[in-house]
Amino acid sequence: MHNLDYCSLPAAENHLIGLLPRKDRARLVAVCEPVHLVPGTVLCEPGSTTREVYFPVQGHVSLIADAEGKPGVEVSMVGREGMLGVQLALGVTTSPLRALVQGAGESWRLSASAFRTELANSNALHRILQRYVFVLMAQLASSATCLRFHQISPRLARWLLMSHDRAQTDSFQLTQEFLAYMLGVRRVGVTVAAGALQRKGLIEYRRGQLSVLDRKGLEAAACSCYASDCQTYVEQLG
Amino acid sequence: MIPTSTPRSDPRSNQLLATLPQEVWERWQPYLEPVDLVLGQVLSEAGRMSAYVYFPTSAIVSLLYMTEDGGSSEVAVVGKDGIVGISLVLGGNAMPNQAVVQSAGAGYRLRAGAVTSEVQRGGIVLQMLLGYAHSLMGQMAQTAACNRYYSIEQLLCRRLLLALDRVPSTALMMTQELLANLLGVRREGVTAAALKLQRAGVIRYQRGRIDVLDRARLSQRTGDCMGTAVAA
Repeated sequence: MHNLDYCSLPAAENHLIGLLPRKDRARLVAVCEPVHLVPGTVLCEPGSTTREVYFPVQGHVSLIADAEGKPGVEVSMVGREGMLGVQLALGVTTSPLRALVQGAGESWRLSASAFRTELANSNALHRILQRYVFVLMAQLASSATCLRFHQISPRLARWLLMSHDRAQTDSFQLTQEFLAYMLGVRRVGVTVAAGALQRKGLIEYRRGQLSVLDRKGLEAAACSCYASDCQTYVEQLG
Repeated sequence: MIPTSTPRSDPRSNQLLATLPQEVWERWQPYLEPVDLVLGQVLSEAGRMSAYVYFPTSAIVSLLYMTEDGGSSEVAVVGKDGIVGISLVLGGNAMPNQAVVQSAGAGYRLRAGAVTSEVQRGGIVLQMLLGYAHSLMGQMAQTAACNRYYSIEQLLCRRLLLALDRVPSTALMMTQELLANLLGVRREGVTAAALKLQRAGVIRYQRGRIDVLDRARLSQRTGDCMGTAVAA
């Protein structure tokens, strides 16, 4: 089974930056500043102009599609395997998705204008980001179908694996409310699904602290969307 | 699929082709082949390279995603607003979705090689296609949210509007079975929802044909499902 570790991402690097030729990488990093991502921070509101882009290293961010009158639902996640603000590489200055920091950690940040300058100077950056767009698009497609067909428990397992890949730690702070928001379900649904994973010994969840105990078991419990997403990523950017 | 000699629709009724700069248009024109797109025709398979990209003019094409455990539903709709085969532009080596004609009609196709060489030139065509990629992503994200929250009736209304925006008339050639497959729901559910809309005077349904009688109310019944979708 594929998971993001197959890309053997160096822990202290954003993978997209890592794929750049050395010269392009040095130029990009020179205009980046390190920032600490704080959970709960909204980095981008739907429809607002993108002023900054992020290349996370440890932190990770949820992309949430709004549905008016409803709380919305997570449709993709961005961590060290990706970037936030890729729409600028498509010549678009806004995104319809809300970007909400989910996991604390370091990230590179640069202004939209500095990023555009780099895009104009680096064909490699363009090519890599277009492939990343392909990966994101495949992820959105799988999320759409996943939300129609898959039960809460396998979706929760998928979500935990995606977070685990990006957080690089076995244990994270997570309220049930937050999980319910991410999965677009009621809190009681999360309670039941998390309870089932816990009884199987795959996770431990108490007082808002969730620990992954059996990663392989979680992979088996997740819906097939996790493996397909990872496979697409590895094919395009691994 | 087979280029025909019957009178063709204007290729420029496809909105992407319409916005090509004159110089690019002249370069492409000799290579654009008119095609009849037939209901049910598969234009590309998921996981395969496609030999052509397609610019629908009056046909509508569904992008379907199939999970490994066999669930399948439509994630986006491409008509005269777009191109089928955007992955080629993004440098992906295969299509993530299956592309199937859901409403028969006309279109134009272009050899994949012609598109990739155009993309390598960069410039305005690449920018235009990338902009379309972004709107497609918006449509997929919206589909995801709708799939989570909306009733079958709302999903049906949204789907009819997506089709209506891409055909020149108010008549949609769609069976309930097809709609059920696209929405990833049971046929009985579609039947019940369609009946409700018919009783309310919003649509008229008969043997594989849906006439939209009241677009405004169809749109109201969608709730805000269309609200945040990126305009194509």
